Amino acid sequence: MSAALSRGAGAAVRAALPWLAVLLLALAWLGTDYALGKATLVATYAIAGLGVVVVVGQAGQIALGQAALVALGAYAQALLVARGVPAPLALPAAAAAGALGGALASLPARRLGGLYFGMSTLAFALIVEEALARWESLTYGAAGLAVGAFAFAGWRADSTLAQAAVSVAALALALLACARLLASRHGRAWRAVRDDELAAAACGIDTDAAKMQAFVVGGALSGLAGGLYAHWIGFISPEQFGLVFSFELLMLAFIGGARRIAGAAWGALVIVAIPPLISLLRDRLPGDWARASGLELLLFGAVIVAVVLLRPAGLAGGGQGR
Amino acid sequence: MNALRRLALALASSLSLACALPAAAAGVSADEIVVGTVSDLSGPIAMLGVPVRDGMLMRFDEANAAGGVHGRRIRLAVEDAGYDPKRAVLAARKLVQHDQAFAFIANMGTPVVMASMPIIVDAGRLHLFPFSPHRATYEPLHPLKFQNFAPYQDYMEAATRHMVRERGYQRSCLLYQDDDYGLEVMKGVEKALAGLGSELVERTSYKRGATDLSSQVARLRAARCDLVVLATVVRETVAAMSEARKIGWNVDMLVTASGYSAQTHELGGAAVEGLYGVSVLPHPYAEGANSQLAAWIERYRARFKAEPNVWSVMGYTLADLFVRTAEATGRELTPERFARTLEGMAFTRDYFGSPAYRFSADDHLGNRKGRLAQIRNGRWELITDYLD
Repeated sequence: MSAALSRGAGAAVRAALPWLAVLLLALAWLGTDYALGKATLVATYAIAGLGVVVVVGQAGQIALGQAALVALGAYAQALLVARGVPAPLALPAAAAAGALGGALASLPARRLGGLYFGMSTLAFALIVEEALARWESLTYGAAGLAVGAFAFAGWRADSTLAQAAVSVAALALALLACARLLASRHGRAWRAVRDDELAAAACGIDTDAAKMQAFVVGGALSGLAGGLYAHWIGFISPEQFGLVFSFELLMLAFIGGARRIAGAAWGALVIVAIPPLISLLRDRLPGDWARASGLELLLFGAVIVAVVLLRPAGLAGGGQGR
Repeated sequence: MNALRRLALALASSLSLACALPAAAAGVSADEIVVGTVSDLSGPIAMLGVPVRDGMLMRFDEANAAGGVHGRRIRLAVEDAGYDPKRAVLAARKLVQHDQAFAFIANMGTPVVMASMPIIVDAGRLHLFPFSPHRATYEPLHPLKFQNFAPYQDYMEAATRHMVRERGYQRSCLLYQDDDYGLEVMKGVEKALAGLGSELVERTSYKRGATDLSSQVARLRAARCDLVVLATVVRETVAAMSEARKIGWNVDMLVTASGYSAQTHELGGAAVEGLYGVSVLPHPYAEGANSQLAAWIERYRARFKAEPNVWSVMGYTLADLFVRTAEATGRELTPERFARTLEGMAFTRDYFGSPAYRFSADDHLGNRKGRLAQIRNGRWELITDYLD
């Protein structure tokens, strides 16, 4: 037992080593606040991406509107905190809002399959964005909502170090919970549905329930990320959670590796950290090259193409595609 | 375990090292001042972001060529956030910590400004003249926040009042983008009409990026509007005017300063002839320009191989306000001294035809006024002075 435990701990340390190296490099090169600010966002995006990994990578469903679930979490958090609920206590509610949204979004899966269901998730995202913009008495509509610092019993996560610590702790908990879930009966049911839905049903798996559970878990994770995002960005408005954000989360999962939970973290690193790194490199370019508009987008696209070509199963997924 | 301990040690030491760096006057060295901007060079309002940046670059280059400000060169550090608050947060942190920006000028887009402003002012840096209609950019009074763009609400109230009073419209309507911009305009228009004992007959909205406005225009026509106020940007302005003319509806339309752009008549052609607009700064037409403006246009063309537009003038003007205030502040340049100097500055009208900008210790909004213009013979012509 203790041997197994120490093996597990060893694996965890090995998995954490590259991250520590990345953090140290970033601290040395970019300065504390910048690197920690980036770490905060990477961890927050990783939690949201974990939701996509569960739904898309594990349960094999198409989710084109995950940002709507992040939005539900963000708004739940912002509104509760504005009414005096301490931030850590509001986070479970944010996750619950995301989970509820996930359950709703998964309902069409009972009737629709494949791309058609994917379209319904897209529609769900549009409905949520529209509702947030229209329900002005609650959400202040398109004018947006300012969100205070992450505070609890007199302590405020004002510094980037505190923010990074909160996000990384939340990510660690989320990864742990996911790892346990994926190893459980639920995880096996999701993978069975992903690989062959008919065969899964023939084996006695309630495929509808399995899909809904995946959406609920994925929604809760994205909602949790939304709750944190609201504090770190400090201002939320419906347009921030549009389709671009949804596709960013999908890209994140595929770049990192949708079939492994570590994929979410690697994907988040690429999606969040690469554009600012490119802008740092761009500063070194001579003359008018540094002024060219859209250069960062172009380079970002090149990085993504390279990742997809060289690591088709994602950064965390090994060299070969599956 | 040893390896882990070494890692923890390295992490702790690098953290403490970074924290122990001295807090010198950020961004100001013996021979340089760093100015940051979080712009949109690739997102939905890149057509503003690029000329604004070029205008600022041009003014700073001129200041540097003339020996700098008290011997210091000005370096503009540009970050592209593409209207995305997440990128804005990272960009602001980079400019604050890595580039050590002394001040931020013309940060672009409300989500970008709202997400990055706390980081900037908490770091003790100046937050100057952002492209956002949000009141938080100048209210409540903050020692480091200054704004010089007239709020949509204020100048659209004045413009609507002037139009309705002078031209006797009975049925005013509104077509607006359903975001903070549209809402601000709506408030101004409603206030003007309420002051005249009237109200909006019809209002209809569209989502940013919409290209087909036929249902909205049909609805406005059904309401028999005689004035349609447009809270639109260039493309939607053209779409709304073209749609109305296509269905044979010759209604008068009035667009905010966001639609006051040469691109409006370049794209719209004959369809936008007669459109009214509000100008907070005139477009720099080469034809009929005064000699100073003509020389400026030539310099701009030579530098960027492009025609300047109203956004280039804005960028140039903002940079000019910065340079003049920095010069007036003196050799000892700190954010506090700069802010107190700016509070005492009055900028008179210049060869661009800009309004007079004036700040004070209890008002950090430099201008509240716009003036009316109309597209005649394929170009904007100013038809009133700045309206109160």
